[in-house]
Amino acid sequence: MTNAELGLFTAQDRTAFKPGEVLELSVLWALPTKPASLEVRLFWFTRGKGTEDVGVVATETIPAVALAGEAKVQFTLPVAPYSFSGRLISLVWAVELVAEPGSSATRFEFTLSPTGSELVLKT
Amino acid sequence: MLRARDNPFSTDRVLRLRYRFTTEDWTRLQETLVRHRGRGALVGEKGSGKTTLLEDLAIRLRHGGKDVTLIRLSVEAPTLPGMYNPTFYASLGRNDAVLLDGAEQLPLTRWWQFRWQTRRAGIVVITTHHAGRLHTLRNCTTSPELLCDLVSSLGQELSLAEAEVLHRRHRGNLRDAMRELYDRFAKKSAGALSFPPLRA
Repeated sequence: MTNAELGLFTAQDRTAFKPGEVLELSVLWALPTKPASLEVRLFWFTRGKGTEDVGVVATETIPAVALAGEAKVQFTLPVAPYSFSGRLISLVWAVELVAEPGSSATRFEFTLSPTGSELVLKT
Repeated sequence: MLRARDNPFSTDRVLRLRYRFTTEDWTRLQETLVRHRGRGALVGEKGSGKTTLLEDLAIRLRHGGKDVTLIRLSVEAPTLPGMYNPTFYASLGRNDAVLLDGAEQLPLTRWWQFRWQTRRAGIVVITTHHAGRLHTLRNCTTSPELLCDLVSSLGQELSLAEAEVLHRRHRGNLRDAMRELYDRFAKKSAGALSFPPLRA
């Protein structure tokens, strides 16, 4: 969830959310040089045997004014697609914090589903 | 059931593996490139690491201050995208490096046109299955030992005997070998990876 410079945190370290829920994140950064921009991206991606797919759902830009700081970011989560896993493909939701220039980044992965668990596709 | 996201041979993990190149290899490649006026080809069969090496070269050139354009062609997308138009080619200069992955997709006449259009670029490097279009900078080859090494980098173990079977079955295509390992890992419940005997 975090590296030496960037961090993304949810209240009570929640990692499961329901469709339509508001995802609120604390964004922390401490960088060696002042970033030109800090971008927070809500997206899903696939992982597995085939080519990776990715869908960026929303982006927020934090006006970076200092080498280090903290901010809050909110996203209203979409109704789909749900997090799922099968033998060949998984769909994973994530939020990524990217500092430019330099492309320093950190990622927070979470589950989006009505049940609180990813759907498991059984073959 | 093993979830796809947890499979050690998932595409994202395999793509994070880098080309096995020593500092001396890089020095030799760059010297060869200079000797051939910044033109050269990385040659090899499918799954031999050409694209990975080209991507690594792109990173090195960018770090060296070059303006790098990496163009990817494939069987699914065999033509140059429209953004590579006369305006793009006219903008090229000594500090530009144009890297073309999958040059064999271009018909010969289109290839010569591309070569002419990129003449002002300081560097042009291509990947291709067969030698001949530009001077060969590197012949990308694979081996069972390399396969063992790459599997080890993914945190798994593969015996040399198993790697030899796999390497032979896929005719040296490590991408396909990794895909087979993905399937085997997805099916296995416990224990080491094992392979059926190779059919003659």
